[in-house]
Amino acid sequence: MANPLSTLKRIYFSVYNWALFYGWAQVLYLAVKTIKESGIEHVYDAVEKPLFLSQTAAILEIAHSLIGLVRSPVSATVPQIASRLFLVWGILYNIPEVRTSVLVSSLVISWSITEVIRYSFFGMKELLGITPSFLTWLRYSSFLVLYPSGISSEVGVIYLALPYIKSSELFCVRMPNKWNFTFDSFYFSLLALAIYVPGSPHMYTYMLGQRKRALSKSKRE
Amino acid sequence: MKVLVVSRSGREVVRGGLEFSDAATVAHLQETIYRKTKKFYPSRQRLTLPVQPGSKEKPIILSGKKSIKDYADGNNLTVVFKDLGPQVSYRTLFFFEYLGPLLIYPIFYFFPVYQYFGYKDKHEKFPVQTYAMYYWCFHYFKRILETFFVHRFSHATSPIANVFRNCAYYWTFGAYIAYHVNHPLYTPVSDLQMKIGFAFGLLCQASNFYCHILLKNLRSPDGSGGYQIPRGFLFNIVTCANYTTEIYQWLGFNIATQTVAGYVFLVVAASIMTDWALGKHRRLKKVNLQLSSVLSLFRVWHVNHIDKCTYAQSSWRTSC
Repeated sequence: MANPLSTLKRIYFSVYNWALFYGWAQVLYLAVKTIKESGIEHVYDAVEKPLFLSQTAAILEIAHSLIGLVRSPVSATVPQIASRLFLVWGILYNIPEVRTSVLVSSLVISWSITEVIRYSFFGMKELLGITPSFLTWLRYSSFLVLYPSGISSEVGVIYLALPYIKSSELFCVRMPNKWNFTFDSFYFSLLALAIYVPGSPHMYTYMLGQRKRALSKSKRE
Repeated sequence: MKVLVVSRSGREVVRGGLEFSDAATVAHLQETIYRKTKKFYPSRQRLTLPVQPGSKEKPIILSGKKSIKDYADGNNLTVVFKDLGPQVSYRTLFFFEYLGPLLIYPIFYFFPVYQYFGYKDKHEKFPVQTYAMYYWCFHYFKRILETFFVHRFSHATSPIANVFRNCAYYWTFGAYIAYHVNHPLYTPVSDLQMKIGFAFGLLCQASNFYCHILLKNLRSPDGSGGYQIPRGFLFNIVTCANYTTEIYQWLGFNIATQTVAGYVFLVVAASIMTDWALGKHRRLKKVNLQLSSVLSLFRVWHVNHIDKCTYAQSSWRTSC
């Protein structure tokens, strides 16, 4: 009864969601373990590899949204993933001085709890066809706390990194050149910070809308 | 004729409903709602026919020019009211969007702003930088003139939030491009490339103006006329020749000035206009199907008697 294409889609998404669940669960476990055993300054070093893998793999989600494989609009996936990649590959990878901050711990824990819930929610749906109401509630409610904590941590880390970005001149391109192109990492980071001002309410209200739809739908079922 | 005005949650917007004569128009209904509610002027109102709960259909929007009778079931009509929020006229919106680039660009050309970025200002300008400034300013000046003297808007207003969004877009890109073209360390292209770029750009601007004239003539001065298929000139080849010429006009500017900033703007503007053009093309195909059995858009000029379309929420969008 199931056509081969939709079965393939389901297998793909089952693998994708559970693999990322595993990656983020690792991040969360290592973060908490490191805080208890070694202290917050070591959290980044402990989670670096699974964080790189899990977060970078999320680029696929933009593709999913673009091709129409998932219902999420591109306008919600792109800002989310862009900010994550900017933090991980733009800031944390290049500016070692900020890695020891407590904000990195709050960042990594906010992200990993959110993702563990999200990926297990979708993983259950794809693999087992069930959406347990507790998990649904978690998935559509945890953001109420974790978005503010995650976003504040992101903004904080970027802010802490600013002086190092400015002095290191990393990735800066100056004129004169044939294509009259300039890139200034410092101003780019300032622009990124500025985008959080309209971007955060946009993402938060988007999730509030999703919450309303999802929780009223599950109440009716 | 009795009209009930309800909100989408079912609450009565005008308690007790309204009474109208048979000849009354929807515009009159909107005026009356405004008088009764004092807050919702007509351009803020979106009136639709009720849809079945759970139905996926798009609600039918009432057109101001039609009479209430056309939508009524016997002697009664229920309309669903939605507040579109504070509105601003398209003319106002376009004026402020375009004013930004018109004023911001010359600031980078005429004033010693680069010292604030840590560069020594250079007073000498390459010829291309001067021509670019005139080209750019002419372009936005033309747009403002067209806004007031050429374009005929079918839907007069736009939500006020669009003022901030659109101005952010135009003003930011204006400053971004102006910064790079007028930079003291700017590297010009060859003289020949500059001439080709500007000549091509000007040709496209002239064509774009002519496209706007053709589009204007499809509608009467009050904006009625709805969606009609434009004919003649480049409209025989593409549906939205006005967008095509606008995109190529920016290409000409970029060939002459050669900045990554300018090309980024070109790509973004082209994708936005392409998105609009696809929508317009779809809408016009529906119009074409509704009125005649001719399908191919390349044979548009065979359609003789195009009736006036009444799409009340049609919105006129010009170039990026």
